[in-house]
Order: sequence, then C-alpha cells, then structure tokens
Amino acid sequence: MTAGTGTGRLDPGSVLVVEDSPEDTEAIERALRQTHPDLRTEFVARGDGLVEALLAREELPGLILLDLNMPGVGGHALLAAIRARPELRDVTVVVFTSSTSPHEVEASYAAGADSYIYKPVNFRLFRTVLKGAVDYWRQQSGPGTGL
Amino acid sequence: MSGVNEPTAPGDRQWPARLHGLWQASQDVADVTEMSRHVYTLILTEPGVLAVTGTRWRHGELRYLRRATAGEPLTTTAGPPRATAAFPPRPAPGPDSRPVVHLHDLGAGHGALAPEGDVLRDAGARWALEARFGLGDGDGDWAAICVGLAGRPEPDADLVPRLVQLSEVLVASHRRVTQSREHERRQTEDAFLAEASLQMDSSLDVQETLGRVARLAVPAVAEGCVVHLFQRSGRLTPVASAHVAAVAQPWLDGLARDDRWLAALLGRAVDQGEDVRLSGAGLDGGPFGPGAAGPGTAVRAVTVNALRARGKAIGTLTFTYQRDLEDVATPRMLRDLALRAALAIDTTTAYEQRRRHVELLQFQLLPRALPTWPGVALHSAYEVADDSLDVGGDFYDAVVDRDGRLALVIGDVCGRGAEAAAMTGLARNTLRTLLEDGTSPANALERLNATLLDQSANRFVTALVALLTPTGGAEYAVEVVTAGHPRPLVRRAGGQVEEIPGAGVFLGVVPDIGVEPARLTMSPGDTLVMFTDGLTEARSAEGTMFEELLPAAVAECAERPDPAAELIARASKFRTTGNDDTAVLVARLEGRP
Repeated sequence: MTAGTGTGRLDPGSVLVVEDSPEDTEAIERALRQTHPDLRTEFVARGDGLVEALLAREELPGLILLDLNMPGVGGHALLAAIRARPELRDVTVVVFTSSTSPHEVEASYAAGADSYIYKPVNFRLFRTVLKGAVDYWRQQSGPGTGL
Repeated sequence: MSGVNEPTAPGDRQWPARLHGLWQASQDVADVTEMSRHVYTLILTEPGVLAVTGTRWRHGELRYLRRATAGEPLTTTAGPPRATAAFPPRPAPGPDSRPVVHLHDLGAGHGALAPEGDVLRDAGARWALEARFGLGDGDGDWAAICVGLAGRPEPDADLVPRLVQLSEVLVASHRRVTQSREHERRQTEDAFLAEASLQMDSSLDVQETLGRVARLAVPAVAEGCVVHLFQRSGRLTPVASAHVAAVAQPWLDGLARDDRWLAALLGRAVDQGEDVRLSGAGLDGGPFGPGAAGPGTAVRAVTVNALRARGKAIGTLTFTYQRDLEDVATPRMLRDLALRAALAIDTTTAYEQRRRHVELLQFQLLPRALPTWPGVALHSAYEVADDSLDVGGDFYDAVVDRDGRLALVIGDVCGRGAEAAAMTGLARNTLRTLLEDGTSPANALERLNATLLDQSANRFVTALVALLTPTGGAEYAVEVVTAGHPRPLVRRAGGQVEEIPGAGVFLGVVPDIGVEPARLTMSPGDTLVMFTDGLTEARSAEGTMFEELLPAAVAECAERPDPAAELIARASKFRTTGNDDTAVLVARLEGRP
C-alpha cells in the first residue's frame, strides 16, 4: 500500500467498517478501541453508494473492513466496485466474514481483496484476529504511520 | 556505589494516602507502561527529584529505557541506545528478592550508572538513588528505577524507603499484568482450539478441512500457515496454506512446495520428533528473517510441529510469524492443535478409505453393463446412503434368456455389512443362472427361497422379476412376480401411471412364498419402473414419504434421457430423513405405437 496516488489523500490512521450487523459492529468497535485506541473508526451499514461517497472525499480510509453478507449491494459486488476504481487502489480492503469456505476465499482474492479474515464467534478470538489484521497492514504501511 | 537499605522514614502525612492510591491504580492498569506513568508522576513530586528513569533488563540486555522529568512527560526508548557491552554489568537481583536501593555518584565519570546516568545528568542531577528489583520471570529478568538529585541524599532520607515501596508496587503490578495477560492468552488460545475443532468436525473432506483450519489460524495464530501431508510416495507435500495477505499467498505456496531449507526443517520436526521454534539467528540461511528477500524479510519466527496419529507421522503444521516474539503461539497450543489436526486427518482418511472400499464392493455386486435388447432402452441408477460405511443389500440385473426373452430383476437384502453383501451376491447370481436357463420368474423366486432356507440365512430378501416377451407385433407380454418387494409402476405412453399388482412374501423366511404372477401388455412408449424401498421411504421434513409423489414423478421422468438417475435425484432432494440405499431399474419400450 503506498500513499497518495488516487484522488483523495490516504489517511492511514483511519478504518472504514462496512458491516450491517449491529452486534458485529459493536464488537468491532469495542475490539479496536481496546487494541488500537489511536485508530479512527467509521461505520456504515450498507454498501449502496459507498464507492461514490469515497470518491467524493478528500481523505480516503487506509483500510476498509468489509463484511460479505449484506443486504443491498453485497460484499462481493462492493469489493468489485472498489477495485474497479483506480482512485481507490491504495485502500487496503480486508474481507472480514464468518465463512472459512475455500471457495469464498478464492472468490474474494479474485475480486481483489487484500486479506480474507475469518470472523470468530468468541470475542477474545475476534479481538485477536482483528488486531492481527490491523497490525499486519500497519506493519506493511511502514513505521510512523497510523496504520 | 553503596547500599542504603531500610533507613528510617519519618515521611510526610500525605505519602501513605498517595501510596494507597498507587496500589489501587495498580489493580486497574492494562500494562506496565501505564503503571510507570503513575509511579514517575508521584516520584517527581518528591522534594529534590530532578528526573526519573526506569530500565528493564533481561539476561544482561537492556530491553528499554523510560525517562521523565517535571517538564517532560514519560518517553520510552526500546532496546539499548548503544552497544550493550558499553554498560558496566550490574549484579542482577534474584527473581523474588526485595528491592535494594543503591546510591550512585554521577560525578564519578560517564560510565557511572550507564545508561541512566547520562539522562539524569542531562536533567542537572549529581547524585542518583537506584532501586533494583527482580521481576519474578526467572533469573536475569529485572528492572531499576533511578531518581536524579542535585545533592547527596542523607542516609535516612524519606526517598529511600519510598523508592522501595514504589518498586514493590511496580513488582506487584507487573505480576498482576503478566498473570492477566497469560490468562487472557490462554483463554484466546482455548477459544481458537475450540473453533478449530468445530471446523475439523464440519467436513469429511481432508483437503477442505485443512484449508479451513489454515484460514482460521491466520491471523489468529500467525501471519502464515502451511500444512504438509505425507503422500504414498513418502514425500511431504503441501495440502493447505493461508497467508494474511493475498499478495503473499503465492510466495508462501512456492516456499511450501520448493524451498529446501524449509523442507529440511520439516524433516527435523518429523525425524527428531522435535517441536521446531526458530527466531533471530536461527532463521539464518533460510527464506525468512532480515537476511531473506521478498515477503520473507518480515518473518520473525517460524514454528513447525509434526502431525502424528497412532504413533505415525502423517505430516507437519508450519506457522510463520511477523508479530512480536512474545506473541508467538505457545508450545502448549501448537502441540494441542497439531494433535487435534492429526486425529481429524486420520479419522477422515480412514473414513474415506472405508467408503471407497464399500463403493467398490457395492458396484461389484451390480452388473457392469445392462444388455442391449431390441426395442427396449434400459436405465439403472444406484445411490449409496450418505452416512453409510457398510455395503448395502440392494441389487438389480437384466438377463436375456435362452429363448431371447428379457428378464429384469431388482431386490433388496435386509440389512448391511459383509453378510448382507454375501447374500446379495448369492441372490443375484442364483436368479441370473435360473433366468438365463429359462426358468419362469415364479419358479426362479421359489428356488431362491429354497436356497436361502437351506442356508439357514437369518436375513430375508425381497425381490421382483419382470419377464418381457415379444408378441410378434409392436407389443410385449410382461409377467411380473414380486416377493415382498415394492410393486413396480407402469407409465403408459399417454402419461397415466399404473401400479402392477402382485402377491408374495419375503424370501428366506417360510417355504411357501405364495407368489401370484401379474400379466400385462406393454406397447411402445410405455415405461416399466422398478425400485427398492430407499426410493419410496425417502421422507421430507414434514413427514411426507416420496411414495406419495412417486406416480407424478414417474409420469414426468419417464421420457427424460436417464429416468432412473432423475428419479433418484428427485428423491435425494426431497429427503431429509430415511437415508437408505436406493436402486432404480427402468425399461422403456421405444418407438411410438
């Protein structure tokens, strides 16, 4: 992930969570608050119009955490729509979903996901997994950046 | 340097309250850094204190240095600010010994109290009091807090016992945070093991199961995971892998397949029965660590555990870690996971092997090909019950007799397993031999009954024989004899479906089976459908049997390219309970009248 080649400037200290389940949204918020209190988090429950909204922004999130199973524009379609826009190519997209099906993994990678992360039921494990993914991409983006 | 232990401490009146507040804070903090902030803030309020430092040492190596002055908040420097050898060694306190306070003259040269001396001198200090204490994590793990003072403290200064008290708070806080982290980590690892077990139980497909476990482990356990299994050739081959980054997946797959260093490491885990755990210089020469190229540069540690089932190595479980070394999975968890994975693989492999044998034996009991007979298209299909690991007793056959007539047979031996398989072979071959010789269907079934009774078999058999005889025109005379078997259906060319009547009891139970042949005429376009009870007894979630839907299904399927397979597929889709083997044999008279 390199900064600043799309339309908007990349804000590596910010994470956009696309998640329709209120329970999962609460769990993600709680987990990230505990593990990365410095991270700015933003939550949206639907993917409809999201790509257009991102393109209109001055600052893009460094990372998008994407649920696959959503009403309206589903996760796969949203992922494809994000990856279809060169302006958003520097945004890291992490699919965060409750399936470990190899078919789902392959489909997400083929559509351009940077990571495919299983969403466990147990909160401690949930927090560990989320921390692992955020830490990994923070490490990739280099020291000194928020992500 | 001189020891100044346990001096008298007159103290001000506020100190006990402030110390109490600190003890309370020590119960709530999430990490030692946060606790240090509380301690340093408090100590900087002591008269004469210009600066405070904290150092953490492990086996003579400085882990970090913290510093704070009245005007500058707490900052932490990780690792030694210069070569460790530059610090004169200080005797490490025992892991559980009480804090000891030492007085240092900072004017005695730059080496005095390195590395804290420089920090304290920069803040204007001339003297330092150092409280040194073990952290209870084993020998060689200790810490020190130092305060910088402008003037030499009196031997009975309040500061000396207060440093001891603050050190005790830090030790207790460290212990609580460490225990809490260990507890948290164990709970997380146990949750992971439980999730992994669930994944392993969810499929009987080895490849898919391992793929799921590898995916679950990343990044819960590590950044990369590879599972290798021994193939029949004796070669370790990667069967599943996952990396937290999609872009690193091909790199990991390539290493798992081709890297010799990694292959040697896996061999070590297997041959020496050793849980391999490498980091730092242990990674030298391999595809991981600072000296490696590509994505491997960021890998800080690698673990390999052999997968063993019933005393035999069946593969390996490898993890690559890019996280802090202290976050590398514990040996306990890795061993537990390897054990669970090995057992799951072993069970699944054994199941697959047994199922293959059953299928092989099952199909040996069925005709390899149905005969071709002018004017009649024959179709057959067989489905083995999903969860069965035993050979079932359904059978069918088609025989052209010495007079050129076509005899169709379908039957079912009660029960499953080796005995049922033997009886199935006996029943099918007896009927085939008799029918080939031109024995009538009723006679053939009576002879089979006598044979079964002679053998004192404790299983019964149901069977049906349909004999098709050309009448010279386009029509066929059909004789149907059933012995305890579901009655067949005829779907007429016009679409109506009729059940063919019949009488006769199970074979192998009583000498007189009371068969009564049914006779009918079939014309081109008519279809005779014979089946076993696995088809009729398929039951939906609402309790409806497929038997009720069968006439309509036969009406629809009779003209399809493969009516037998179509009927079985429909029953399978319909079925939620009543899982039994199913055989279907269909004879369709070709051409239109």
